[in-house]
Amino acid sequence: MRMSLYVPGTSPLHRAGARWKLAALLLCGVAVFLTTSVAVLGPAAAVALALLLSVRAPREQLVRQLRGPLLVLAAVVAVAALTESVHAALVVGLRLVVLLLSALSVTLTTRTSELQDVLELVLRPLDRAGLVNASAVALAVSLALRFIPEVFRQFQEIREAQAARGLRGSPLALVVPLVIRVLRSAEDIAAAIDARCYPPARTGDLDRHERLSGKAPG
Amino acid sequence: MTARTRPLMSTQDIVLIALFCAIIVALGLIPPVNIAIVPVPITLQTLGVMLAGAVLGPVRGACACALVVLLTVLGLPVLAGGRGGLGVIPGPTGGYLLGWIPGAYVTGLLVKTFALRVSRRGPQLAAYFAACVAGGLVVVYAIGIPWTAVSTGLGMGKAAVGALYFAVGDTLKAAAAAAVAHNVRRSYPIEPR
Repeated sequence: MRMSLYVPGTSPLHRAGARWKLAALLLCGVAVFLTTSVAVLGPAAAVALALLLSVRAPREQLVRQLRGPLLVLAAVVAVAALTESVHAALVVGLRLVVLLLSALSVTLTTRTSELQDVLELVLRPLDRAGLVNASAVALAVSLALRFIPEVFRQFQEIREAQAARGLRGSPLALVVPLVIRVLRSAEDIAAAIDARCYPPARTGDLDRHERLSGKAPG
Repeated sequence: MTARTRPLMSTQDIVLIALFCAIIVALGLIPPVNIAIVPVPITLQTLGVMLAGAVLGPVRGACACALVVLLTVLGLPVLAGGRGGLGVIPGPTGGYLLGWIPGAYVTGLLVKTFALRVSRRGPQLAAYFAACVAGGLVVVYAIGIPWTAVSTGLGMGKAAVGALYFAVGDTLKAAAAAAVAHNVRRSYPIEPR
């Protein structure tokens, strides 16, 4: 399975820095809610569409990402047109189109690793203030990326095992053994990570030093 | 010094959070059950959200859901049907996704304070179910519905009608999550945190 939505390419959007793209996206998200003028939102939607097309993503991926949201969008516009006014429907529709297309353009042109760098940049001040532990977040993200295919593989394994015994159960009968397997493996994985001293201890991280030198209980 | 001020998270907690995040994503990959007429697929992803709270407890459950949100924002196709990306958050359904985090917390808190104090099977299952409904439905909808209303400019009433469509499926999923969490706890109990 493909784990990222990134599409390789050399378009201007590909070459732009991830943090600038995200900052622009954030501003754009605020801006579309500040105006109700179709004269502004219409061209904005056209620009967003042009941006998305400049990415040159494969059509099937665009269809897959846009089909669901566009159905919701169509329903919303229809309800707004019927119950309020055509103008309100247009504003709502264009707003969501701008958001949807510009965000998708950024998603398609930015590597996950680049986004992770931006995440680290955002977390750094919070980490310094003691609000979050940036290295724990980074560890959790990379573990999750590693485990998603693994958990899915285990799910299919359990399904095959049950089918071999003639059980053609609901997905629910699969969830219990899946969760138990996962909980059981967590202990081993945690021991393996601790054995490798990851995440690396930071200066001033007393708790970890104590634990590594065996002074702390547990 | 800083280690003293922040809540302690052991490596095992981080691993459990990451693994449960992977379960939530994997449940979204299972081919969805289509309810006829309306083209909205019913997936088991929200089942995973309720389970995260009910099995891991409030803090780790909420962290697992926050990790799913983070992966979505990082542009990974982790949501049901292979969707993801930044556009999900400001979209009409973004509030439901964000609502998972407090939803799992509330489910975990209720399981911890009520369900685990009951010893008889029947009442315990009922307490699990109530916790899953409170967290997975009430809290998630309480954030999702106003979010839809703001994002689309429709009134709260219309957004709520849209949500009602999912309520039936979500109630069934809460019942399923209660049964699964109860079973898991009997065969492999871990301390909820």
